[in-house]
Amino acid sequence: MPYNETVANLGLEEYKYGFVTKDKPVFKAQRGLSEEVVRQISAHKDEPEWMLKFRLKALGIYNAKPMPKWGGDLSGLEETMDQIYFYLKPQERMERSWEDVPPEIKETFERLGIPEAERRVLAGVGAQYESEMVYHSLKKEWEEKGIIFESIENGLKLYPDLFREHFGTVVPPADNKFAALNSAVWSGGSFVYIPKGVKVETPLQAYFRVNSEQLGQFERTLIIADEGSQAHYIEGCTAPVYSTDSFHSGVIEIIVKPGARFRYTTIQNWSNNMYNLVTQRALVHEHAHMEWLDGNLGSKLTMKYPSCYLVGEGAHGQILSIAYAGDGQHQDTGGKVVHVAPNTTSQILSKSISKGTGRASYRGLLKVYDGAKNAKSNVECDALLLHDTSRTDTFPYIEIEEHSANVGHEASVSKIGEEQLFYLMSRGLSEDEAAAMIVRGFIEPIARELPLEYAVELNRLIELEMEGSVG
Amino acid sequence: MAEVVTIENAPAAFQREAVEARAAAEPDWLAARRLEAWNTYEALPFPTTKSEEWRYTDVSLFRLDELRLAEREAAPAVPAGARALLEGKRAAGRVLQVGASVVELELDAALRDRGVLLLDLDTAAREHPELVEAHLATRAVPARAGKFAALNAAFWTAGVFVYVPRGVRLEEPIRVARWIDEAGVAVFPRTLIVAEEGSHLAYVDEFASPDFDAPALSCGAVEVIARDGADVQYVALQRWGKGVRHISTQKTLAGRDANLDTLVVNLGASVARVDLGASLEGPGARSDMLGLYFASDDQHFDHNTRQDHVVPNATSDLLYKGALYDRSHTVFRGIIRVHPKAQRTDAYQTNRNLLLSPDAQAESLPNLEIEADDVRCSHGATVGQLDEEELFYLRSRGLTRAQAERLVVFGFFGEVLDRLPLPGVVEELRSAIEARIG
Repeated sequence: MPYNETVANLGLEEYKYGFVTKDKPVFKAQRGLSEEVVRQISAHKDEPEWMLKFRLKALGIYNAKPMPKWGGDLSGLEETMDQIYFYLKPQERMERSWEDVPPEIKETFERLGIPEAERRVLAGVGAQYESEMVYHSLKKEWEEKGIIFESIENGLKLYPDLFREHFGTVVPPADNKFAALNSAVWSGGSFVYIPKGVKVETPLQAYFRVNSEQLGQFERTLIIADEGSQAHYIEGCTAPVYSTDSFHSGVIEIIVKPGARFRYTTIQNWSNNMYNLVTQRALVHEHAHMEWLDGNLGSKLTMKYPSCYLVGEGAHGQILSIAYAGDGQHQDTGGKVVHVAPNTTSQILSKSISKGTGRASYRGLLKVYDGAKNAKSNVECDALLLHDTSRTDTFPYIEIEEHSANVGHEASVSKIGEEQLFYLMSRGLSEDEAAAMIVRGFIEPIARELPLEYAVELNRLIELEMEGSVG
Repeated sequence: MAEVVTIENAPAAFQREAVEARAAAEPDWLAARRLEAWNTYEALPFPTTKSEEWRYTDVSLFRLDELRLAEREAAPAVPAGARALLEGKRAAGRVLQVGASVVELELDAALRDRGVLLLDLDTAAREHPELVEAHLATRAVPARAGKFAALNAAFWTAGVFVYVPRGVRLEEPIRVARWIDEAGVAVFPRTLIVAEEGSHLAYVDEFASPDFDAPALSCGAVEVIARDGADVQYVALQRWGKGVRHISTQKTLAGRDANLDTLVVNLGASVARVDLGASLEGPGARSDMLGLYFASDDQHFDHNTRQDHVVPNATSDLLYKGALYDRSHTVFRGIIRVHPKAQRTDAYQTNRNLLLSPDAQAESLPNLEIEADDVRCSHGATVGQLDEEELFYLRSRGLTRAQAERLVVFGFFGEVLDRLPLPGVVEELRSAIEARIG
C-alpha cells in the first residue's frame, strides 16, 4: 500500500489532541485583566498577604511595560487579551488519586495517555486542567526520600519558608512584560524540591491541558535541586483547536545547587490557535549541570528562550532546542546562556524545520561577563527548509567582556538535497519515506536525548507532517 | 531644574540655512535633492541604543554638538601629511581632498580619451547630469537610508564621481585620499562609482589625519554600481587620527554576472560606524565582503552589514576579522537576507574576533533571514584568544612573546587580505597594518 494511503488509513492526519471535553468549572473570572481578577485569584487560593502584594505589584509592572516589538507578531494578541479568561477553576481541590478526579477531566487525561505513562515510566505526575492542577502524585519510594512534588499552590501552603526564599528570585516580575503578567495572575504549575544527594532515576512529569475556548493559562513552576541531587522533569502541553486564539504564558524558575544535575524537557504541542510566551530560567551553581531540552511543535506563535545563568565556578549549561513550524506557525525560539563565573561551559544545539508557510527563528544570547575566566561556549543552529514559502531566521547575540573566553557560533540553512532523495529512492523508498528519513536524521542528535515514548511520538509526527511535502 | 540637553537639539552646526547656502549655486534638481534630504534628516529621529541596529553604539559618542561645518576653500594649503598619502603610488587617477575641498585631481589621459570620468561630484552634477542624476542618492544610499545618510545627502561636499564606460578596464586603481587638518570640523565625503557593462576598476579610498585632542567628524556615503558583467573592487582604508569620528554609509549594487568586492579596514579614529549593504540584483552576481579591524585604547568600532539577495543564483561571501587591545569595544552585526524569489543563493558570513586584553569587549551578531528554500547559507562567529601553541612555537624559535603575538595577529588578518585580488594594494595594506600593530 502506498505510504500516503497507509498514513491516511491510520486516520492520524489531524492534530490528534484537538478534542474538547464538556465540563462544569466551579469558578470562572470575568473576561479580561483587572485588579479585581488578580484579587479573586489570590482569594480563591487563600494566599498570604505577601503574595497578594507581590501579584498587585507585578500587575503594575505589566501595565507599565510596552508590548515587545521584536520576535513574533503580537498584534493579534492584544485583541485576544481583552477577550480571554485569566482564571478558570475546574474543580474544588487537587486530587491525589485519579479515581477522585471528575470523570470528564479524568477521561481527558486518559485520552492523552497520562495515567498509563505514570504507571509505567514516571516517578510522579502533575496534571493541570485550565488554571489549576487537578491531580498531583508522587510514587511512595520517592516520597520517602524526602522529594517534594506538589502543585505550586500547595508548595506555598506547606513549605512557606522554602517557597518564599526562592520564589521570584530567578525570574523577577520586572524581567519582561509576560513574566510580570504571570507574576500577577499565576495559577497552577509545580513546586519541586530534590533533597541533597538524592538521584531520581525516572522522570517527573507535568502535563498542561487547556480545554476551554479563549482561556489564558499562566502556570508557574519553582524547582530547587539541592546539592548533589539529580532529576529530570518533563512538561507536555496540548489544547483543542478553536477558531479564536488562546494564550499560555508560564514562568519556570529552577535553582540547581552545587554539584546537582537537572534536566527539564518540554514537548510543547499546543493547537495552532495558541500564543505561547514563556520565560524559563535556571540559576546554576558550582559544578552543577543544567540541561534544557525544548521541543516546540505546536502553537500559533511561540516565543521562548530557555536560559542558564552560570553563577558558580565550573557550572555547565546545555540547551537542546528543536522547533517545527508548519503552515501559519511561527516558532521564535532558542536559548540564553550567561556566564558569570570562571571555568563555566555551555552548549546550545538548535535544529529547526520550516514547512509550508511556517517560519522558524532562532534567537539566542551568549553573554560572558568580565571575570568569567576561561568560559567556553559553543552554539550550533541548523535549519531545514521544506518549501519555497517556508522561512527561517537566525538572530544570535554574542557579547563577550572576558578576554580568556572562547566562544563560537555556527549556523547553516539547507533544503532536502536532491542527491539524498535520489539515493534513497533508488533503494526503493517512496519520495515521502525518503524525505521523512532525511528529516529524522536531521533531528536525530536531539531526538536521541528524549525519553523513548517522546522520541517515538516525535518521529511519528515528523512522518505525518512530511506527507506530500516534497516536490 | 537644569535644562536637559538632548541629542535632538544639540548639533547646532546642522541647519537648513547651511544646506540652502550649499544648494544656491547648484542645478535645480540637485538643490531640490539636498533640501529633500534635509527634510528627511529632520523627520528621522536620532538613533538610540533602543533601536536594534544601534544597540551597542550611543550616538553621543560622536560629539555632534561640538562640531562646525568644514567650508570649501578656493586655494587651500595642502599639508605635507596629506600630500604624502598619494605620493609614489601607481594609479589610473588620483583625488586628494583636504577638509571640504578637492585640492588635486588627475586622470590618466589615455583613459580620459576612452570616456572614463574622474570628477569632483559638483562638477559631474553640472556637466554630466545624465549620468549623475539617476544614481546620486537614489537607489544605493538615498537620504531615507538613515539619519546620517540623510545628513550626508544634505551637506556633502568634495564628492568623487567615477564613471567607467562599457568594456573599459582600468589596469591601475583609482586612488582617493581624504585628509582632515583641524579638530572641530565636520566633513561630508561622498563617492559615486558607476561601472558600465563588462568594465573593470579598483578604487582605494583612504582616510587620514593627525591626532586631535578634540572631536572631528567624517560623515560619508559611498555608492558603487556595477552593471552586468562589471568587475569592481572598492577598498576603504580608515586610519584617521585620534579624536576623529567616522561614519560611513555604503551600498553596492551588483548586476547580472557582476563581481563587486569590498574591503573595509578600520585602524584609526576614536569611534567608527560603518553601514555596508550589498545588493545582489542580477543572477550570477557575486560579492566578496571583507573587513579588518584593529582596535586599541578606547576605540569603538561598529560594523553593520547587510547581504540582500533579491534574485536567484547570486553569491555573497563575507569575512570580517578583528583584533582588540586595551579597552577597545567592537561590534559586528551582519544580516543575510534571502528574499522569496532568490532561489539557489549561496550566502556566507563569518566574523572572527581576537580579544587580546582583559578589558576589551566584542559583540557579534550574525543574522540570517531566509525566505527561499533552495539556498546554501551559513554563518559563523567566534570570539577567542591567540593560540598558545602557535605562540609557543614562535617563541621556541627565539621570538619574544610580543613579537610572536604580532606575527600571529598579522597571520590572522592574512586570511582576509589574501582574498583581495589586488596584489599591489594588498602590499600597501600590509604595511599600514604592520605600522598599526607596531
